[in-house]
Amino acid sequence: MRTGDALTVAIPGPRGYAQREVTQAPAWRGLVAWDLLFNGMTTGLFLVAAISELAAPQVFTPVAKIAYGIALIVLLIDLACLVLDLGDPLRFHHMLRVFKLGSPMSVGTWCLTAYSVPLAAAAAISALPGGWTHLDGVRRLAVIIGLLPALGSAVYKGVLLSTNAQPGWKDARWLGGYLTSAAIMLGSAQMLVLSSVMGHERATAMLRPALALLLIMNLISLGLLVADVRATLLRTYTRRRMYGVGILSLGVGVLLPLGLLLGGSTSLFVVATAACIALASLAVRFAIIRLNNLGSVAS
Amino acid sequence: MAGREMEVAHLPRSSDPPSGELAALVKRLVDPFRQGAAAEQHVPTGFYTDTTVCIGCKACEVACKEWNLLPADGLRWTGNSYDNTETLSATSWRHVKFVEQFSVVEDPKVSSAGFSLERLLNEPKAGRWLMMSDVCKHCVAAPCQQACPTGAIIHNEFENVFIQPDICNGCSSCVAACPFGVITRSSLDGHSHKCTLCYDRQRDGLIPACAKACPTQSIQFGPIDELRERARARVRDLHQRGVTSAYLYGDTPTANYSRLNSFYLLVDRPSVYGLPDDPVNPTIHMKGDYLRAIASGFAAIVVLLAVLWR
Amino acid sequence: MPGLGTSVGFGAASNHPRDLVNSDCILIMGSNMAESHPVGFHWPVLAQQRGGIVIHVDPRYTRTSAVADVFVKIRAGTDIAFLGGIIRYILEGERYFREYVVHYTNAATLIADEYRGVDDSGLFAGFDPTTGSYNLIPGAWEYACERRPDGTRGLPRTDPTLKDPACVLQILKRHYAHYTPEAVARVCGCRPEDVVKVAELLCRNSGRERTSAVAYALGWTQHSTGAQMIRAGTIIQLLLGNVGRPGGGVLALRGHACIQGSTDIPVLFDMLPGYLPQPRAVPGHATLAQYLANGKSYLSRRGDVANGLWKEGAVRGGWSDMPKFAVSLLKAWYGDAATPENDYGYAWLPKLDEDLSEMSYFVKMHQGAIRGMFLMGQNPAAGSPNARLHRHALRRLDWLVIRDFFETESANFWYADPEGVDPKTVPTEIFFLPAASVIEKEGSFTNTERMLQWHERAVPPPGDCRSDAWFVYDLGCRLKELYRDSTHERDAPLRHLTWDYKGIDGELDPERVLREINGYHVREKRQLRGPVELASDGSTACGCWLYCGVFPDEKTNLARAKGDRLRGTSVYGEWAWAWPENRRILYNRASADPQGRPWSERKKLVWWDDVARRWTGHDVPDFEIDKPPDYRPAANARGIAAIAGDAPFRMHPDGRGWLYVPYGLKDGPLPIFYEPLESPFRNTLVRQQSDPLTVVPSDPMNPIATPGGDEYPLIATSYRVTEHYLSGAMSRFDSWLCELQPQMFVEISFELAGERGVTNGDWVIVSSPRGAIEARALVTARLKPVIVDGRPAHTVGLPIHWGFAGESVGASVNTLSPLSLDPNADIHGAKSFVCQLRPGRLAQPNPPTPLPVAPIPVVDDPIPDTPDAAQPLGRIERGW
Repeated sequence: MRTGDALTVAIPGPRGYAQREVTQAPAWRGLVAWDLLFNGMTTGLFLVAAISELAAPQVFTPVAKIAYGIALIVLLIDLACLVLDLGDPLRFHHMLRVFKLGSPMSVGTWCLTAYSVPLAAAAAISALPGGWTHLDGVRRLAVIIGLLPALGSAVYKGVLLSTNAQPGWKDARWLGGYLTSAAIMLGSAQMLVLSSVMGHERATAMLRPALALLLIMNLISLGLLVADVRATLLRTYTRRRMYGVGILSLGVGVLLPLGLLLGGSTSLFVVATAACIALASLAVRFAIIRLNNLGSVAS
Repeated sequence: MAGREMEVAHLPRSSDPPSGELAALVKRLVDPFRQGAAAEQHVPTGFYTDTTVCIGCKACEVACKEWNLLPADGLRWTGNSYDNTETLSATSWRHVKFVEQFSVVEDPKVSSAGFSLERLLNEPKAGRWLMMSDVCKHCVAAPCQQACPTGAIIHNEFENVFIQPDICNGCSSCVAACPFGVITRSSLDGHSHKCTLCYDRQRDGLIPACAKACPTQSIQFGPIDELRERARARVRDLHQRGVTSAYLYGDTPTANYSRLNSFYLLVDRPSVYGLPDDPVNPTIHMKGDYLRAIASGFAAIVVLLAVLWR
Repeated sequence: MPGLGTSVGFGAASNHPRDLVNSDCILIMGSNMAESHPVGFHWPVLAQQRGGIVIHVDPRYTRTSAVADVFVKIRAGTDIAFLGGIIRYILEGERYFREYVVHYTNAATLIADEYRGVDDSGLFAGFDPTTGSYNLIPGAWEYACERRPDGTRGLPRTDPTLKDPACVLQILKRHYAHYTPEAVARVCGCRPEDVVKVAELLCRNSGRERTSAVAYALGWTQHSTGAQMIRAGTIIQLLLGNVGRPGGGVLALRGHACIQGSTDIPVLFDMLPGYLPQPRAVPGHATLAQYLANGKSYLSRRGDVANGLWKEGAVRGGWSDMPKFAVSLLKAWYGDAATPENDYGYAWLPKLDEDLSEMSYFVKMHQGAIRGMFLMGQNPAAGSPNARLHRHALRRLDWLVIRDFFETESANFWYADPEGVDPKTVPTEIFFLPAASVIEKEGSFTNTERMLQWHERAVPPPGDCRSDAWFVYDLGCRLKELYRDSTHERDAPLRHLTWDYKGIDGELDPERVLREINGYHVREKRQLRGPVELASDGSTACGCWLYCGVFPDEKTNLARAKGDRLRGTSVYGEWAWAWPENRRILYNRASADPQGRPWSERKKLVWWDDVARRWTGHDVPDFEIDKPPDYRPAANARGIAAIAGDAPFRMHPDGRGWLYVPYGLKDGPLPIFYEPLESPFRNTLVRQQSDPLTVVPSDPMNPIATPGGDEYPLIATSYRVTEHYLSGAMSRFDSWLCELQPQMFVEISFELAGERGVTNGDWVIVSSPRGAIEARALVTARLKPVIVDGRPAHTVGLPIHWGFAGESVGASVNTLSPLSLDPNADIHGAKSFVCQLRPGRLAQPNPPTPLPVAPIPVVDDPIPDTPDAAQPLGRIERGW
């Protein structure tokens, strides 16, 4: 591998032929990291909104109605990221030629398609002014129909990254688990922010402990993920560096939000909590995206 | 010569040119979804590459570029022996690798009392320069084909892995999935390309350009069964001559990976040649990963419900 | 060529590359066959798969060495020492093929008493330092012949028991006695066992049942002792009985696709077509009669001996037919104007009065003695040794006409020279005429196996591009028109030149040229069927006697033949046509024993059919078809009738292969190991450092390093890599080839890199007495230095392909190489000279700038008139 003028020695080193990885990395970078975040945000928000609406409709319905609209907007942003990340965006519709259960990206495409329709319907109906309550049943139906595809859309991304040949990713057995539980966690955070900003105290009060528990659950799945890819991380980072970064992410991503959650229930605290979570999540996703490029010179 | 060549019989008729802009647009949108008649199944073909007779001339690289009109990749001297191509890519479908293996130990000194003429005549050569023409492995169970969401990547009637260039939209799932690092996405058109095993030539009864150009018949083409027989005979022959390190890579399935329809005769570990020592088909983890993901999702939902249900 | 020609008769490959599949052992030396002849290398690989052994002896471990079974590294330029060691091994152990050697070579011939061998000074007796030639004892190398009663020379005396100390075999043995494995190892840097190993493998694989081949290329020819290296290789093949046999012989692997053709029908200064000597401005060539009477070897005489052994060639053997060849040639050139009265126009042939080889005339050009030049398909500004001198010389011309496909260094030297030259100071008027490329013209080409193949035109040349043949023909027509009415005697040759080769479309028809080369009966106007029809009375015309037979009648061009019937194991006699007379393996009489039976069933090629009373077999016999093996010539027999029925080498007067060459080579009848002209080492085998007859043109831009000096302690060797071609004129304008080897580099060992503080990829400056270049260093174990005379012989490897014109540009190695001519073939010594190396970069006034990479037909739109299914699969297309 070359940077600038420096060249490798001709004798193959411990990494095989010409100091290179055998595999080649796809150009999945910035946009994909954002996509990981937005995907989790939209599916999580929908799932949490749907489940909370179904579990406690009196408390959550007003929030959920707004949530569906926001989820739709985030979904569209997410889809834009995905389409723009294609090498030939004008051919995005080719994904709908086939449905292959063995291809996570195909599963994801169809899941996203199947999720977007009921979501759009639910968001549209939610946006109607108050006199259209007879469509509420339709809305509920749409939400229920969208549950499975939403879960599928949340699940496929991690599986897509872990079922390929890329170093780091190929060992990440818990990547799908982490991203899915993170989606629910992110959804709860967004739901919490919405409730708080809209002034629904009951909803806020119910969601705060939920988020706290989900934060800890997510931490567990993140821990499992890190255990999976420890070997890859250690190829580049020293133990000390790794623990340092880990503690930082732990601090900002979990402890701080927990503290903020427990500390206060005003909108300020809630928004700060969500901001920390979002920031930490984004950072983790960028780290995930870079995982298959560790140890080799950035290209 | 492996694979008899025939006269080019006749080419299929071209589709009529569309008339007008709108018609062209409609055609572009509709064409990818059209299904043609299934091609008649053919005896599976592939490559057998005997690296012991490769002379590193790179005729295969040039013939491939010429036939497929691939652009040059840029003039970059690597200093890595005679390999300036560096990797396979969307615009380099053949890549000749060079591995210099010379011992740092001093050559044996002048003959000692135990000199034997027979030993002298049969002593191994001091130093090796391994050469190998890398190409798509055309795996029988190809992770790239399994991962492709548009269905662009197919196994054609010759059991070769083929990327339909008018379908691919550059999602790069195949790039990520290939354990051999064969495919990349082209920056010129945003699609993934790789060796087609000269599908167009095979359909007209010709052999692939690289096999045709290879001067020492290191690259051999033909029905895969015939090639495997030939390869096994060659390995036996080499073992008899004292080259006991010769073996075949990819001619039989392993626990984690299928057969390769482009297999190799090597004389050192695969990683020396930049091949995975033990390739793994990534889809073996798929079921488990889905389950873990769904389970995590359900666990989170259960927790959520538990808190919210009042 | 002279090395091979003097040994066996013709200076061309005796066997064809495909025949190597029949070899039980192949010695590739002075050649990097896999890299320079990759397609031909298929045959050694096949031979290996049939159990044959491939041995590669070379200063570098190359891609050939990677596939060979045995590799021996020797110091560049020491080949004669190594081969001498092998010869000694064969002779000491009496491993030579005795029956072959006694009957088919001159091993048994006795040499005149004046021959003393090599003395302490490392020279043969009779060297004259003032003239730089062996003229003092004219008869010193001759055979000891019987004296007839009338005083004329009789037949050479022989000793078939090979015991007489004056016989060639014993002389050979004494000559190489001190080339012991240890002495050879000291010179070459190999192990002593390596000599034994290679020699033993060759011996074991020669004889009745087995044959070995020797393949060489420019690694032998491009030395100051090149011709003698080839001689040494041929001596080995003659001793082991491999010449003229399937799987045997000496394969001269020529360096260009058609260079065999370019020496057969030469534009060389010292040869006429068919290897006839260009007449000199000397008394012995004053008239046609004298020219013919003195024969082919007149110029090989030493001193002024009128009737030396060299004259035998005009009397006995194949060359005694020279009158037929020469007169027919003159008839072809001058047509009806050539009559017996005017010596067939012999007076119109230019007579050579000085050395006008390429290097010599460029030196004259540098001194301002030459006014203009036609330069066609050659690139001396980068491709000739001491390229700087060549560029300076070109700048002294008044006019230059250059024809090529691209603006090569020889076309843009006037502004692109890295030394920096102000175009205003260059007085040369340069005409650049675009040339048609290989696929844009038709004609024949003659490859290394002497085979003529017709080459069709695939596409017409674009725009104003024309082939060189078209150009020369048109030029000739215009010149003839200009001088049509001249009465000057000096214009007579031009006016009388036959020059009608127009085809039906009014353009040059190459087949008409080939018809004339083949020859025809003048009066009956019909084609000749073979050289046996040639006559010296002006009744036949023939452009080249060797090619007589390729166009046997008006309609049949055998160069177009595509028959694919296999005879024996490697002879495709119906595919195209090989000279002479469609023989694929020369001297194939030697594939049968003196009684005409094949030496073995396994190695049969040609044999005597006693029932039909003719020679028959898989190849066209290289013998008169009905001359029986027991034919013995009469005492006064002349011509081909003087060759016995068991003498395969018919171009020699005694019909034998020459282990010892009594005439024809300027620097001795036997090869002596001399160091290259420039060498960091002193000669430890003989006292004379280097070949005293090497010609070094004297020019201030051509200084030569003193041997063993400290200033340039490294050995420089230059060579090809597969990816590029020669000086890059045909390859560095092609991005597909440029990307394979995109930059000039030099190869050095880890040891040298360590000494000089260089790591892989660093820029280094390589300098020699002629100049300096910069390049990146490729540090590799393949160039690990051998130990010579107790110290490492560091070698710097220099690929020759770069220059300052093209899409990939870089330093030209010929900035470093010296101008020197080997005494026999005028070839330069590019394979071994001296240099120094240090890290750093040169400050160049005008650094080479590459052309922008020309776009490959990047196919955006569908190729017109082509179905969808046939569009190139690598096509770029985007979007909907």
